Amino acid sequence: MTNIIPAVSTTGLSKSYGDTVVLHPLTLDVPKGEVFGFLGHNGAGKTTTIRLLTTLLAPSSGTTRVAGHDVVSDPLKVRAAIGYLPENVRLYDRFTTRENLTFFARLSGVANPVDAVRETLDFLDIAPLADRRVGTFSKGMRQRVGLAQAILHAPQVLFLDEPTSGLDPMGVRQLREIIEKLHARGMTIFMNTHLLSEVARSCTSIGVLAHGKLVFHDSMQAVADKYDERSLEDLYVGVAARTPEVAA
Amino acid sequence: MTPARFIARQSLAGLTRDRSVLILIAFFAAMVLVTAWLGWSATNTVNAIYADAATYLSASGQPVPPNPVSQTASLAVLRNLGVYISLIGAFGSIVIGQLLIETDRRAGTLPLIGARPFERRDLALGKMRALVTATGAMMAVAGIISVATLVTIPSLVVGPGDLLRLALFLVAGWAYITIFGFLALGAAARMPATASGLIAATVVWLVVTFVLPELTANVHPTAAINPVSTLANTPDLGFFHVMSRVLGPLSLAEGFAWLSGDLLSFLPDGLAPRGPIPPAVTLSVALILAGLFAARSAAKLDLNAGGPDA
Repeated sequence: MTNIIPAVSTTGLSKSYGDTVVLHPLTLDVPKGEVFGFLGHNGAGKTTTIRLLTTLLAPSSGTTRVAGHDVVSDPLKVRAAIGYLPENVRLYDRFTTRENLTFFARLSGVANPVDAVRETLDFLDIAPLADRRVGTFSKGMRQRVGLAQAILHAPQVLFLDEPTSGLDPMGVRQLREIIEKLHARGMTIFMNTHLLSEVARSCTSIGVLAHGKLVFHDSMQAVADKYDERSLEDLYVGVAARTPEVAA
Repeated sequence: MTPARFIARQSLAGLTRDRSVLILIAFFAAMVLVTAWLGWSATNTVNAIYADAATYLSASGQPVPPNPVSQTASLAVLRNLGVYISLIGAFGSIVIGQLLIETDRRAGTLPLIGARPFERRDLALGKMRALVTATGAMMAVAGIISVATLVTIPSLVVGPGDLLRLALFLVAGWAYITIFGFLALGAAARMPATASGLIAATVVWLVVTFVLPELTANVHPTAAINPVSTLANTPDLGFFHVMSRVLGPLSLAEGFAWLSGDLLSFLPDGLAPRGPIPPAVTLSVALILAGLFAARSAAKLDLNAGGPDA
């Protein structure tokens, strides 16, 4: 189910550092309510793209709208509408989960941070971690608290950068279940990942980035229809391999 | 509450849980106590000797001179405080300024903060507010210990004027150490390497504390940590007269020492400050400039944990 205004819309979005082009002009629409899987090899430009979409980086060119707001001219409205979980999130080790989350809830302008934190902890089933220091947590527990800070203000669009990185199979499964629950709530999810199995199970559409260029973009349904005899891995390897590295 | 206040509160809470900060502040408080004890001990010694001498002189029918303690300004017993503020206080402020940025960088929370709906200047204001509060707390500790010292020495007479001068001295001390905290905060925000901000601000502090006084008045580093010898006259040589006028306004340690001597009433008679500008003015200007540097740097802080690692 899609709405008229896309949750994420880029036209010619690019990023360069001096002569090095990290992201070639990217034109992409992600409709509201989608779980979009953004695939690509290491260094393809996925993290840069997420940082551009979350206003953490300024684009070199192009226009980008997230939740209907321009990332350059209206960054505060974009930030109010998004949640962001970076790869390898750490948080404040000396603070408890509740203290960490309350701080980020307040920064997000949540009217009642105490209730929002409690509800989020319950939603993610991590209430027992509330009063423990984050510094004592495993990678999986930390990742869940990181996800909690990203969703406690009920964002319209959630950006996840390699959310399964370093998680054990149980952690991956739990994360998938959370993504499904968030999707059921109508949240748009933009997820960078390497894990093709997770893309196949969780995503409703995918894009493949290779050497800073979008080389494939379609719905999972279309992928299943067009490439039913081939695995997602074959598709990914095929489109990525066809794209030679572009010299800057 | 504004985002700047949330950030300040969170940053301060983080500082109170950082062992290195607690050790530094405890050390600062201990040295202030030592200052107080030295003043108390010296005054009591003089009083005891005077009492013995007065008894002897009275018994032998000779005139008894006035107690030298009563000839000295009460606040002068705190003369060592200025040294500890300019050394330990300033270094503590540098560490705090650097940690205010480094803690978030190390925790990987900068991108999480950067993706929140508030202006970048609020982040800078929050960090600066935290620094100003932390250095203010350090000077408040110094103030409480100082007042307790003055009250517990029976022969000292402390009037409202003295307390006002002490308050002004503490404000000057706060301004002095906050300058270095701002420099460390700004340098840490500008330099992505962990220790670069700390090193940069420490180098400035070392130059201000030890190098400039040597160039303006031939005050050697060992003398620079003595509250009295710091207040030496400019040597009667052309080089030092020129350097004193040129570098005097930049020599903040000497400016603060002069202000300390003036406010705590142990300034040698007729000693003029280095350079043509009054130290209160140079300290104020330096505080404003360091604050602008910190504000500008923190507002432009790279909120991505690293470079272009796409």
